[in-house]
Amino acid sequence: MSVASLIFTILLCPLVASTLFGFSALLGKRLPRQDLISTAAILVALVCSLLLFGQILGNPALKQPGGIVDSMVIDWIAISDLEFKMGFLFDSVTGVMLIVVTLVSSLVHIFSMGYMHGDPYYPRFFAFLSLFSFSMLFLIVSDNLLGIYIGWELVGVCSYLLIGFWFEKESAADACKKAFLTTRVGDVGMFVGMMMLFAKFKTLVLYGEEGIFEAVSHLGSEDILWLSVAGCLIFCGAIGKSAQFPLHTWLPDAMEGPTPVSALIHAATMVAAGVYLTARMFPILTPGSSLFIAYIGGITAIFAATIAIVRWDIKRVLAYSTVSQLGYMMLAIGSGSYVAGLFHLTTHAFFKALLFLGSGSVIHALHVHHDDHSEHSIERDGIPPEQDMRNMGGLRRKLPITFWTMLIATLSISGVPFIFSGFWSKDAVLGSALGKAMSGGSIHYYLLFAIALIAAMITAFYMFRLIFLTFFGEPKNQEMYEHAHESPMSMAIPLIILAILSFPIVNKWSFEDLIMQPDQPHIHASTQQASALYAEAGASDHDTHIAGDHQGDIHHTAHNIAMVCSIIVATLGILLSWLLYARQPMTEDPVEKALGPFHTILWNKYYVDEFYNGVIVKRITLGLSNIFGWIDFRIVDGIVNVVAFINREIIAGIVGLFDMIVIDGIVVTVVGKGIRAIGVQIRRIQTGTVQNYLAVVLSGIIILVLLFLSLPRWIP
Amino acid sequence: MRLEHYLYISIILFSLGVFAVLTRRNAISILMGVELILNSCNLNFVAFSSFITRDITGQMIALFGIVLAAAEAAVFLSIILSIYNEFSSINPDQTDTLKG
Amino acid sequence: MDWTQTLFWFFFAMTIGSAVFVVTVRNLVHAAFWLMITLFCVAALYVFLKADFLAATQVVVYVGGILVLVLFGVMMTSGKLDLNLKLERGQMISSGIISIALLAILFLIVRRTNWQTAETQFDSEGTTSSIGEAIMGEFLLPFEVVSIVLLIALIGAVLITRKEVKKEDAA
Repeated sequence: MSVASLIFTILLCPLVASTLFGFSALLGKRLPRQDLISTAAILVALVCSLLLFGQILGNPALKQPGGIVDSMVIDWIAISDLEFKMGFLFDSVTGVMLIVVTLVSSLVHIFSMGYMHGDPYYPRFFAFLSLFSFSMLFLIVSDNLLGIYIGWELVGVCSYLLIGFWFEKESAADACKKAFLTTRVGDVGMFVGMMMLFAKFKTLVLYGEEGIFEAVSHLGSEDILWLSVAGCLIFCGAIGKSAQFPLHTWLPDAMEGPTPVSALIHAATMVAAGVYLTARMFPILTPGSSLFIAYIGGITAIFAATIAIVRWDIKRVLAYSTVSQLGYMMLAIGSGSYVAGLFHLTTHAFFKALLFLGSGSVIHALHVHHDDHSEHSIERDGIPPEQDMRNMGGLRRKLPITFWTMLIATLSISGVPFIFSGFWSKDAVLGSALGKAMSGGSIHYYLLFAIALIAAMITAFYMFRLIFLTFFGEPKNQEMYEHAHESPMSMAIPLIILAILSFPIVNKWSFEDLIMQPDQPHIHASTQQASALYAEAGASDHDTHIAGDHQGDIHHTAHNIAMVCSIIVATLGILLSWLLYARQPMTEDPVEKALGPFHTILWNKYYVDEFYNGVIVKRITLGLSNIFGWIDFRIVDGIVNVVAFINREIIAGIVGLFDMIVIDGIVVTVVGKGIRAIGVQIRRIQTGTVQNYLAVVLSGIIILVLLFLSLPRWIP
Repeated sequence: MRLEHYLYISIILFSLGVFAVLTRRNAISILMGVELILNSCNLNFVAFSSFITRDITGQMIALFGIVLAAAEAAVFLSIILSIYNEFSSINPDQTDTLKG
Repeated sequence: MDWTQTLFWFFFAMTIGSAVFVVTVRNLVHAAFWLMITLFCVAALYVFLKADFLAATQVVVYVGGILVLVLFGVMMTSGKLDLNLKLERGQMISSGIISIALLAILFLIVRRTNWQTAETQFDSEGTTSSIGEAIMGEFLLPFEVVSIVLLIALIGAVLITRKEVKKEDAA
């Protein structure tokens, strides 16, 4: 099969599965097994993605960014000279993303068959999953920003529907609204950025002869500032979708949705769409916008990691961990390492999906039915008892499969060296930041490297805290412990498959071979300028040439340094976690004692939510309303009052006279009665009889035709 | 047997159909009028395609017209039946609850 | 004047004459039978226009399908209704004027237009195969759309006519 037909199949399968549900719901009948339909659809898509991936391996042209686009483009909208084309872009990035999305989605479908079993809205859940898969795949294969934007909003809608899947729960209903509105803030920025590009280049297509990237490379240096602003604005969309600081607050709340949804949408795929978008827009990034992206990524990485230390809710820990890891990916792209960002995206998708599904398995095991819950399982701090790590402990004996698979994922995310994929990808990210700093990039990148290192240590710490609290030690809630049971096969198998994928099946070097980094014309230009200055400062032309050749060596050194550093910090983090949480039975949270007041800040997530509610919602929005209200009351009403005064006192006198004589005397008697008489007559026409109406319509047509026939005679 | 002859038949059928739609007091008779109008249109298409374009395009359109007429008749009669159930009458003059 | 021409004028007259009866006859069942004759005559005119497949379709669908449907409609609503159709004088006159005006205008248009007719009429040994090819080729999309329309119309017809099963009835 050709590439185009494979892509069509990939898109159509989940779409058909979800629309089938829509039609059956319209007819009032449910299809018997929506779960099987949806799962089969996504499995077909997975097979097609694997076939496509095979084509990439056999065709080096596809490894170039841009890949092949022709023969898959259709005209979509054409308004005079504005043309929007819809097309498919297929290169190795698309291929890798397709595999990640369809694979994780398939596993989540299978897992959900066990996890969601018995839910009253079971079929609808699968229909939403299919719709989400379609939207995400559409986003990935679009070759233009408009298509990406459509997919982008569609995944947002699906995320909204799935977070609020248990909409009877008030917290879930609030969380889905929050997620939808918060991401919308970023999307406005993205849309403005898109429009800036469109205004300049008259197209939204990315690659190709007439694409944006071709046009960008011809921009002069006077447009750099403009391009930086556009790049930052488009990145705003990614800030919203990938839950980067300062719009990260929706993602932890999104954990109100069912756990498989958290695994698929809020860990592996949708939130990674922001990283994908940033990576796609890589060629338009300038030094300024790159640094902006790197800083946002770095700040998010450490910011979210610190909050994760003090969470008790197993899903919230993972949510903040996701935010933090997404920050890493952004940092990599901002540091000019496209491959490292996408590599971390891929490995993270697998091990984070595994962690979420594993936590789902734990929650499923501990779930106490409401009729028999005792005072032992009372909610603390608003955390549902089965998600509260203070109720867990010792579960490794009860849930062996979940324990081992989650342990593998934790080792991977913590960066335990050499045999876990997370180590390689995290090393790639750290190395890219350090390499950028060492090879003449901005001094800021040293700082970012340090931040990322600290974040890596914290990551290892809180992830092992999660493992120790959940699976080791003595059971803290005996009743729940007795009740716990290993999950059914449909849930265990996806865990095992994902655990296998957490080993470096694709290592860094083969990944670098697979994906070619696109050129960044404006960053390239500025580095050349820098080296030209360097040459003027005394070094010979020969030296600059060698400096270029030495770039590769510098990156190599940077990676080695980063590797050593990351091994050290990972060990430190794990050790610290072991000392605090595993060595002795825990009586109170050791972190709380150690951190003191800082713990309160962390517990309240740096008060970002409070800031939004208190300042933006209450002060700014209400303040603006008050200002407008005041303007309305004082100024607008004032003008009205003045006019009214003039009217009342002066004009009213004159008008009063006129009224009495002319209106009452002549107009009312003549016009009023006349109109009444006409009304009585016209009322007869409104008989409600269709035939009369039709007769009138036909008479009108006859008159019009007569006019048309006779007009040529009247107008020579 | 010139084009005009067919067109004359067509316009006469059309006018008669309009007359039936306007005067009849029974919804089923109105349906018959509508069928006359549809037939006159189909005849027009076929005549034009036979005399002017000289291919089967007009016949295809007439074919689709017949299909749509069948659909229209089915829906029309089902509406008549439910109106009849509601008002026990199919005289359009008596079903004028929309009257102002 | 050879026999085909005679036959054509016969059908010409029959079509118009039967259509006049459809419109004027008072008995609904009689009107339906006059309509049947009109439809047959139109089918015959299709044969003169070398549209053999269409003529067959006309007979099958209109005479066999739609007319039977109309007769069913007459039957199912005739229980309490007298089938005599009374025409009000005022409405008769105004409708008559409108119809005649329409006829006159259309007649003028037909007369005045300089029809660019071809020298020879469309001729064919049989259009069935070419219609089949056209349906599966050039007209594939309209064909699919019209089939969906028909399906929806039939489902809708069933849905509208179906009586609501009330709870007390069921119990």
